[in-house]
Amino acid sequence: MDLLSSFHLAASLLLSGDADLYEIIFLSLRVSLTSVSLALCIGLPLGAFLSSVIFPGRVAVIVSINTLLSMPPVVIGLLVYMLISRAGPLGFLDLLYSPTAMIIAQFLLIVPLSTALSRQLFEHLHHEYDPLFSSLQLSLWRRIIALLIDAKLSLVTIGLVSFGRAISEVGAVILVGGNIKHATRVMTSAIALETSRGELAFALALGIVLLIIALGVNLFSAALRARMDRADINV
Amino acid sequence: MSRRTSCLIANGLSITREGRVLLKDVSVEIKPAAITLILGHNGAGKTLLMRALHGLIPPDEGTIHSPPASRQRMVFQKPIMLRRTALQYFKFVCPGLRISDQHSWFDSAQLISQLDTPARRLSGGEQQKLALIGALAAQPKILFLDEPAASLDVEATMLIESLIAKACDAGTTIIMTSHNRAQAARLADQIIFMDHGSVKEQSDAKTFFQAPQSEAARHYLAFT
Repeated sequence: MDLLSSFHLAASLLLSGDADLYEIIFLSLRVSLTSVSLALCIGLPLGAFLSSVIFPGRVAVIVSINTLLSMPPVVIGLLVYMLISRAGPLGFLDLLYSPTAMIIAQFLLIVPLSTALSRQLFEHLHHEYDPLFSSLQLSLWRRIIALLIDAKLSLVTIGLVSFGRAISEVGAVILVGGNIKHATRVMTSAIALETSRGELAFALALGIVLLIIALGVNLFSAALRARMDRADINV
Repeated sequence: MSRRTSCLIANGLSITREGRVLLKDVSVEIKPAAITLILGHNGAGKTLLMRALHGLIPPDEGTIHSPPASRQRMVFQKPIMLRRTALQYFKFVCPGLRISDQHSWFDSAQLISQLDTPARRLSGGEQQKLALIGALAAQPKILFLDEPAASLDVEATMLIESLIAKACDAGTTIIMTSHNRAQAARLADQIIFMDHGSVKEQSDAKTFFQAPQSEAARHYLAFT
């Protein structure tokens, strides 16, 4: 099958509302949106905390987080697998090969990313605001909330980057999800499988959806950046 | 001067950073409900002293007796503007005021038309006024002002000076730095003159300008 006819078939699959295809798309979105939302709830306040508080071992924590950033997703998948497999310490929860396991893996992948990116952002902001915050005798809690509010649009950009990373990840979700049809098959794992089986049209259709999502994320990010520049609230 | 007649007393403040002595055995007493101006050349230690008195920089040596930090406010030379509207900034630095009071403060600074303008989009003078009313609205016992009228036009300077004078009349102790001798003569009740990290002279404004006691102060006045 040549490239053009693959594109044609992919487009007709997308436009016809193919149930299998859309099941995979929706599961991918559900897993990634859930994992990213949870990871941001931890990563953003943690980034704000690390930028605002000097404590013994802070540098070690930052170095550890930066190291986790460069950890291959498949290794994170392996660690989660070892945790939740039947012989693992959390095996009794029976999570292996479930969407929850995939959410956990993506969560662990995104927490270091969102923490590291937000820490850099908040550090810059905190450096600027610190004399005012100190003068006003703000508590740590109020400082963190103020940083989160003032950086909100930049944080949305971090959220978009995290989402892009989560939805395009394949190694970890295959290991802990198992790529089971109608259960844990997501776009990236389906692309890998369908390509190996020679079903290029189906794989391409999913690839197009991933590209559209990436394009949407980038357009939204660019629009936010333009809005921040207009309002002079860029961090 | 005793603690009863002083709003703030600092004794023997010294600050050394990377082997450089930035403040050297500085002792000052600040009169309550008066305007004290800290004068001196660039690098004399004026801003550092003010930040130390406000508690932003802990001294290596010395003691400071002052009202609690919650009753103090500081306006920085380049006001730190949050990424919010002018009104949201005001509410952040002085929470809990009624809307009518908030508008009244904006009115007093001729900023009522700028309520919804992003604070960082205001001009330098407008930012300075916004920071000043945000600090004044909290009714502090001591207000520190780091060159509040630096590089402002005459109109903005006059408005800021009138807000400062009113606050002082209402009982707020003002401690400010300035490079403007005329402004110092207009506003100051008390002068602290600094040179190379030490206080060379502390006297009432009239005495300082008419008969400065130290050689450094005479030299400063001759060239400003």
